[in-house]
Amino acid sequence: MESSDTIKGRFPTLLSDVVSTNRNETIILLSDKTKLKTIVSEIKNHFDILFMLMVVDRPPKVFEMNYIFTSYSKNDILTLRVDIEHDDPSVDSISNLLGSADWEEREAYDMFGIDFKGHKDLRRVLLPEDWPGRPLRKDFEVTDEVRNWTGLDLKF
Amino acid sequence: MENKNRNKITINIGPVHPSTHGVLKFVVEIDQDTIKKVEPEIGFVHRGVEKMAEMKYFNSFMPIADKLDYISALNWEVLYATTVENALGITVPPRAIYIRTLMCEMQRMMSHLLFLAHMGEDLGNTTLFMWGFRERELLMDLTEEVSGGRLAPMYVSIGGLYYDLPEGFSERLLSTLNIIESKVKNEYKALSYENGLFKMRMVGVGVISKEQIVKYGITGPNIRASGVKRDIRKDDPYLAYDKVDFDVMTETAGDCYARFMVRVNEILESIKIIRQIIKDIPSGEVKVKVPWIFKIPPKYTFVRQETPRGEAAMYMVTNGDQKPYRLKIRAPSFYTIQAVKELFVGSKVADLVAILGSLDPVPGEIDR
Repeated sequence: MESSDTIKGRFPTLLSDVVSTNRNETIILLSDKTKLKTIVSEIKNHFDILFMLMVVDRPPKVFEMNYIFTSYSKNDILTLRVDIEHDDPSVDSISNLLGSADWEEREAYDMFGIDFKGHKDLRRVLLPEDWPGRPLRKDFEVTDEVRNWTGLDLKF
Repeated sequence: MENKNRNKITINIGPVHPSTHGVLKFVVEIDQDTIKKVEPEIGFVHRGVEKMAEMKYFNSFMPIADKLDYISALNWEVLYATTVENALGITVPPRAIYIRTLMCEMQRMMSHLLFLAHMGEDLGNTTLFMWGFRERELLMDLTEEVSGGRLAPMYVSIGGLYYDLPEGFSERLLSTLNIIESKVKNEYKALSYENGLFKMRMVGVGVISKEQIVKYGITGPNIRASGVKRDIRKDDPYLAYDKVDFDVMTETAGDCYARFMVRVNEILESIKIIRQIIKDIPSGEVKVKVPWIFKIPPKYTFVRQETPRGEAAMYMVTNGDQKPYRLKIRAPSFYTIQAVKELFVGSKVADLVAILGSLDPVPGEIDR
């Protein structure tokens, strides 16, 4: 895939090709999470939108962030994979570069508690504000607090 | 100062409101009748689908994939089944691929007919509401005949289909298509898309620009109405779409009327696709044997397909277990609904209903 080769060529020390799974899919790995915004601004020259953002919880060490980019004119699919530490789950927000990242980052914050630095409006999107816990983490347990949660100040 | 602020009111539209097509909420700031600021709120039907996927066997997730988008269940069934089949590395028999394409297009017609019906309801055209449901009912009966279900058919299984088509099905389907084609081309034309009153509510309202499409990542019929010729069925063909001849319908205006027309034309295109498929549907088996519980080695599988609402995708991570390690679902409406933050601003409250209806969101897939 041409565009991913160009992107890799620009940052040879940071990026490495993991696997080209399909005819138009490429996964590239980013070793340093602080360089995320630099890479994404380069990717923006070749791709239109953030198609989706998949976070995979791999305890005890990392959260694996998978940014999937597509465009409206080409069939190429690019996955940018970044690992962030489990103890300090924070990464730069790309929502001011790509608008479609706005709610995706809010969802990742909602479900995994990842702190996107620089996001303008980082709050829960699917769950209520006072919901206890981060449900898509692997260590999430359905406790009594979750089971009896009503969202109201009522005692049963 | 006080006099000026007296006209500004904040109102809540939804979560339970007939025009929101489900449970969506908008906090709208209005000045007299003009909308100044909108904040969409979602999550009222959040069921934790992605967490449920991690807790179930691959086969047991199928009924939940069915209910993600309850207007186009078969498209999501096919998408999930394809994801698991690709991860497993099995090939589906050609007859099953053709029948899947057929059912996907039937579902697309049902979804678009429901859209036309609701558009009529939202704009006070109750006759169109009734007629849209009447034609959809014909297709619903055929879906019931094939699968036993109407809204959530559970027809697609991993490895193919649960049952073959019943006898005489293609004749009944073809006569139904003739009825729908003549209704859409003649009756609907007089009632909706050539009707002056109906057009007045839609032409020039809620224009989506190309910048907004890229900004929010909108896909599907909504961008084809703005002149972006993008359809996964054509650009990156899956199922049997590379073997049939059809056009990608586009409009240029990008307003509510263009979005309405794209869907009207897509119904006619779907009829064209189904007729070709019935003609060259191969005979043979409709499924390969897959055990109920199986393991998938560690890998990443990405599949995207075109549902009636846009580009839907599933990204599945497996780790050699009997259940997925992580399943991420991309629901096209989740991105479309973000655009109301800009689309509503500056329009009247009555136009909000028209714009929202023309975007065709389904809360079931927004909230997952």
